[in-house]
Amino acid sequence: MAIDDLDNRSPLRILESSIHGGLGKGNIGVLASRKGVGKTACLVQLGIDKLFQGKPVIHVSYSSRVDHIINWYEDIYRELARRMNFEPAPDTYGDLVKKRVIMNFNQEGTRTDQVLRSLEAMIEHGRFAAETIIVDGFNFPQSSPDNLTRFKEFAGRLRIELWFSPSLKGPEPLFNERGIPVELLTCLDLIDVLITLRHWNNRVELRLIKDHGYAAASDLRLSLDPTTLLITKP
Amino acid sequence: MSGEISRLRNIGISAHIDSGKTTLTERILFYCHKIHRMHEVKGKDGIGATMDSMELERERGITISSAATNVSWADHTINIIDTPGHVDFTIEVERSLRVLDGAVLVLCAVGGVQSQTITVDRQLKRYKVPSIAFINKLDRAGADPVKVGNELREKLGRNAVLMQLPIGLEDKHQGIIDLVAMEAVYFEGTQGELIRRRSIPPELMGNAAQARQEMLDAVSTFSDELTEAVLEGRETPELIIKAARSGTIAHELTPVLMGSAYKNKGVQLLLDAIVRFLPDPSEVENTAQDLDHGKKEIVLRSDSNAETVALAFKIEEGPYGQLTYIRVYQGTVRKGAELMNSRTRKILRVGRLVRMHADSMEDIEEAPAGDIAALFGVDCHSGDTFVRPGLNLALSSIHVPEPVISLAISAADKKSADRMGKALRRFSKEDPTFRTSIDSESRQIIIQGMGELHLDVYVERMRREYKVAVNTGKPQVAYRESIALRREFDYTHKKQTGGAGQFGRVIGWIEPSPEKPYEFVDEVRGGRIPKEFIPACDKGFQAALKKGRLIGFPITGVKVILTDGAAHEVDSSELAFQAAAKGAFWQAYAKAKPYVLEPIMKVSVEGPAEFIGNVFASITQRRGIIVSSAEDEQFARVDAEVPLSEMFGYSTVLRSLTQGKAEFTMEFLTYARVPAQIAEELIARYQEKVEKEHTQ
Repeated sequence: MAIDDLDNRSPLRILESSIHGGLGKGNIGVLASRKGVGKTACLVQLGIDKLFQGKPVIHVSYSSRVDHIINWYEDIYRELARRMNFEPAPDTYGDLVKKRVIMNFNQEGTRTDQVLRSLEAMIEHGRFAAETIIVDGFNFPQSSPDNLTRFKEFAGRLRIELWFSPSLKGPEPLFNERGIPVELLTCLDLIDVLITLRHWNNRVELRLIKDHGYAAASDLRLSLDPTTLLITKP
Repeated sequence: MSGEISRLRNIGISAHIDSGKTTLTERILFYCHKIHRMHEVKGKDGIGATMDSMELERERGITISSAATNVSWADHTINIIDTPGHVDFTIEVERSLRVLDGAVLVLCAVGGVQSQTITVDRQLKRYKVPSIAFINKLDRAGADPVKVGNELREKLGRNAVLMQLPIGLEDKHQGIIDLVAMEAVYFEGTQGELIRRRSIPPELMGNAAQARQEMLDAVSTFSDELTEAVLEGRETPELIIKAARSGTIAHELTPVLMGSAYKNKGVQLLLDAIVRFLPDPSEVENTAQDLDHGKKEIVLRSDSNAETVALAFKIEEGPYGQLTYIRVYQGTVRKGAELMNSRTRKILRVGRLVRMHADSMEDIEEAPAGDIAALFGVDCHSGDTFVRPGLNLALSSIHVPEPVISLAISAADKKSADRMGKALRRFSKEDPTFRTSIDSESRQIIIQGMGELHLDVYVERMRREYKVAVNTGKPQVAYRESIALRREFDYTHKKQTGGAGQFGRVIGWIEPSPEKPYEFVDEVRGGRIPKEFIPACDKGFQAALKKGRLIGFPITGVKVILTDGAAHEVDSSELAFQAAAKGAFWQAYAKAKPYVLEPIMKVSVEGPAEFIGNVFASITQRRGIIVSSAEDEQFARVDAEVPLSEMFGYSTVLRSLTQGKAEFTMEFLTYARVPAQIAEELIARYQEKVEKEHTQ
């Protein structure tokens, strides 16, 4: 089986069709949940999915060390291959991650201006034609709302899509009656796709809360496998 | 030496070039020696016998000239280990840093944190060396120790806390306020050797009280006992020192001392601080690899009664032969005892065991755990581990990477040639990644190493230390050739030129071997090739692998399977089968889609974050792949994989791209296939060269 098949059978195709063909260039997607529910695993799967399609990915992290992220990718890749009974050639993974760059920022020390400057430097000077940037661990609900505006402007100008994964830290209730995280209400206009991860019947369910301009279908019929942390169909 | 491990310190003095490291080291040796002698006058026996009166006069001139110098201060023994200032990707720097238990980071009170300080700081952090800082040159115009303290926090991210304040600065610098004892300290006598403690001048009291409070706030986070004591207003110097010591050893605090080594001020207090804040060998965890159990890391015990484990960290060529500096990590090294070199598995007997002082050498009977000593007349390489015979442990990784770059060198005259030979022998002993050989065709001397800078350093050392007039060629990347396909061979070597003929026929195939560089499988049945000629076939294949036909570099990753052949009763010989194997290999090689491999280096660039775009660009332009970057407000680090052939001159380029503020390290990562277009150029160039040689 080739990488193409692996890609075609990915549950992420369901996500893609649910959100009308994917996040799209210039747009901001958000995966929100409490800490420790599985956001990083989801983000890494989004990243690997792009890599399978031969598209370069920048993985921005604020919290983890670089080697942790490298391990995440390896683990998820291995689980994906196992689930699909896919025996990859020895060089496959090495070739795959050549299209991935990890950029780590110290949250206290780095301002959004610097992050954006470095991202642009990577794309322009580093000639790294990323279409997707994954931003792990940036808690914009806790920082100034301007920051997300800047990211949005950046995404539009450089024609890239940006995925964020804020940790929700507020007091209960975390979500309002429409399932929108209360902390994100003020910046909802800037978010094009919003997915929440919530514990439900002993699983972690992915719920589509905002889908571009469309009325969200809410039930994505996707959840996280509790042992492998892979996104799975029911 | 008191023999008690808690009274031992192994330290390095790390500094920016102009911060006064040499003067400070001289002063340290001077004061220690003074005190040392004073102790002896008071009736301490033993060691004093080795000193003679002449040495008193030589005191002023002493400098550190050995890899480790042993001094005494306040009933403690301090080994000062020389930290090499050159390139940081050699194994040697790693070894020097690994024998340290603590370091003094020296800064200039005027210049503060400069780019080289950042380099030194990064090395100390990389090897997790607990450190204290000394702000030197308080007598200089523009000295501002408080500003430098802030820079330690802001630029180096250290939790730096001032343990002292100056009394006067620049030409009015008189002494130091000790914030722990809350006293003014003056250094009197012709050479500052008389320490006078007085009350703090009233005009400085306000500042001192505030600075002490800040110091207590920072230090008390490492001790609940101190926190309580501070709240109740009954903190003592002992409690403060204890807390600051735990913070320092945990790499979470950097106590800051200050003074002027040149003006003989503050050095004794720095020595006190070394003893107070830096760890003794038992407080630092050291590990070794268990070679019997898959290099499993095991923690060594700083116990003199345990089984001996020691590291040869430096080799010096002296008038009496090789002097090997060792650090004992576990057990005791005794004169007359047997040790085993775990690399060579050879047993050696410890002959003369010595300790190096600033101005003399002392013969000792034993060196206990934690100590540093030197051995005479031991044949070993730098980095070798000595263990009790029977143990199978190694302190540093035994795996030495293959050199990836070579350089042809020649001596300009006969005298230089002799000295060059001597230098090369010494360098290869000191550094296992540095190799020398003679090219069989050009008869040139070839030196090989891990990078351009690595070889530069040795060429420069040949010029400076050995006064060799040396000419160098262009550095050459160690390419390799390999094959992509399985291909059959059936080759007959036949020669009939009067007398005995030559005959040998070999049949089989070659195929890619991803795991091993070379593999030979004999599947010949029924004696079609007589048994005695099989090794000759193997030899013939190996001979062919030495020089590929694409670009003339060694061929790697080939498996040869020999299945059949033929021999002649009279005309077959070892020589004939060797020739047949060679012929067969070239027959198959040409069809097996041979390709060119090049060394890929793991490159790390570190520098101010503002230049990150330039760094990205410089890597991409060199066919590099950026693996990751890490940034904080000020600094950035970029990790990349770049072909070695593209890294020539990178240090110059990087310097100009970053105003000299960034630095890089690189090490060999792997061999990877050269892109087709570049391979074609290499092949064309080689074929042209071969043709030219042919026509000549």
